[in-house]
Amino acid sequence: MTANAFLASYSAKVLEYTLAITYLILFVGFWRYVQGGKVAQAAKAVAHAPERIREAARGAAGWFSVPEAVYLHPGHTWARLESDGTVTVGLDDFAHRLVGPVAEVGLPQLGAGVSQGAAAIRLGADHKTVSMLSPVDGTVVAVNRSAAEQPERLGDPYGAGWLFKVKTSKLAANAKQLLSGEGARRWLDAAGESLAARLSPQLGHVLQDGGVPIHGIARELDPENWDHIAREFFLS
Amino acid sequence: MTSVAATAQPNWFQEKILLGMTGRQYLRSLVTPWNFAAAAIIAVGVPLMIWRFAFGLASVTNLSQTQPWGVWIGFDMMTGIALAAGGFTIGATVELFGLKEFHPIERPAILTGFLGYVMAVIGLILDLGRPWNMVQVMIRNGTHSVLFEVAWCVMCYTTVLSLEFAVPFFEWLGWKRLYTPLRKALLALTVLSVMFSTMHQSALGSLFIIAPGKLHPLWYSPWIWIFFFITAVIAGISMVIVESTLSHQVFAEKFKGQHVDLDKLTIGLGKAGAIVMFAYFFLRLQGVVDGHAFGYVKGFYGAWWLLEMVGLVLLPAFLYAYGARNRNARVVRIGGILGVIMIVFNRLTVSLIAYNWDQPVRYVPSWQEIWVSITLVTVGVLLFRWIVNRMPVLTPPADAPAH
Repeated sequence: MTANAFLASYSAKVLEYTLAITYLILFVGFWRYVQGGKVAQAAKAVAHAPERIREAARGAAGWFSVPEAVYLHPGHTWARLESDGTVTVGLDDFAHRLVGPVAEVGLPQLGAGVSQGAAAIRLGADHKTVSMLSPVDGTVVAVNRSAAEQPERLGDPYGAGWLFKVKTSKLAANAKQLLSGEGARRWLDAAGESLAARLSPQLGHVLQDGGVPIHGIARELDPENWDHIAREFFLS
Repeated sequence: MTSVAATAQPNWFQEKILLGMTGRQYLRSLVTPWNFAAAAIIAVGVPLMIWRFAFGLASVTNLSQTQPWGVWIGFDMMTGIALAAGGFTIGATVELFGLKEFHPIERPAILTGFLGYVMAVIGLILDLGRPWNMVQVMIRNGTHSVLFEVAWCVMCYTTVLSLEFAVPFFEWLGWKRLYTPLRKALLALTVLSVMFSTMHQSALGSLFIIAPGKLHPLWYSPWIWIFFFITAVIAGISMVIVESTLSHQVFAEKFKGQHVDLDKLTIGLGKAGAIVMFAYFFLRLQGVVDGHAFGYVKGFYGAWWLLEMVGLVLLPAFLYAYGARNRNARVVRIGGILGVIMIVFNRLTVSLIAYNWDQPVRYVPSWQEIWVSITLVTVGVLLFRWIVNRMPVLTPPADAPAH
């Protein structure tokens, strides 16, 4: 202990506490640096600015929008990995436009298990209900009560219209069954075309104007049996 | 190979041991430059081990009463055990913390851990002056000794690792009655592995608490046992990054048709590594301040300490952080290699280079000691390859649950 005589015990303590506080302050910055980056920012941008991204996507995708970083299930639900590791689930733009305004949104219970391809969401209107499938396996950790109470929120399908969040351990396996990016856009376009084929006799002029499909296409097509059409597209 | 299969059905031995080849074909497949190098190392190393048991430690080592611990302890035991920490680190990540996406690298990590421990135990037996007295640990109540804890924990943990490894082993043999209960017990085994690892990884550091006058003040700290545990976690993470990268290159054909996003897992490990290393850097600084040892940051040992702290702790911490932030697995892998080097550097420094640093006569290992250490590493690598080529380690069977 001779080589350190310059350090009296009080000043050593001061140095220790200073070091500890310095560490804590620097750790905040370091933590934020490690957690940040390209992907986290993209996820954040989707969460906070759905409008802007949807607008950008709409131009490219034709009628129906699908933002980046969203995985689509063939039953027209979507899944998005959040920065906290949970997966947010909702119904896609196609589903929202197909069904139109709904009176009732049935969501799974908190803590319930959902399975990929099994019914998890219920949409009700005109005394009819249609089920929609969960895009991923997992346990429900949050449900969007405001979407259940105010179904008009589904008008923002990738933003305020999210339905529930799950904690999943099988995202990698589940993702193989899902579509994303250009593939998702093309698939959505194809779904739109197959819908257009049905629409043409009745509503052809609406679409050939280049307009965006109206809200509640299925009900326009067949007010009595719109739920059959919806089930066909939702695979439920 | 196909023509043979068409004419005669390969028997059990050919299928399981010779990878479906005939004896002649198998021997021919072994003729590679790497195998020749390995054979040369072992051909010298094994006789050296026999020599050591026949003629005593003094006949092959430079150990003395002042320096009773050499590379067999500093490298084989101290470093080997730390680098084998991936088994419990990844086991805890998957089984206890529930991060199931790391499941594809759990089995290779456990195998690396198991072989690391077996090799460390062999190194330890070589180093014991009277290895036959080892049984005394089990029958005597030596609770006053740190080595007692190390011995018991290493024994228990090696047993736990062998049970964890028994799952792919029995799957390979097709013994469902044995691997089914073991698969179910994996959670309990992981709890035990975390407990034993926490105890003995830190106890290896506790061994130095009683040597404040012998270990250089820049490395000595009453908290050295905490440093040992934290560096074991860093070693586990770094080793898994390096090992999985090498496995994916060497055994690429085993991963065909598999969709394991190794880059993503590597980046996840890098994130954890960055946080742990950053904290470790400040803890080490705190250790130096607490030991009033800043005055020693000069001369050879000061430079050596700075090399470790800046080049092998701070630099990989930032490489991990940069790689994790920018989703760059390559940078994380470079950090992983530096992390592994850091462990070797740290353990050799604590147990050899900075130990007895003020003694007039310093220990320099004999070539035989180094050769035996290299032999043990070579045998470990060969066993890893032998097992991975046969047993479901890199690609668990489809019916294996994600635990």
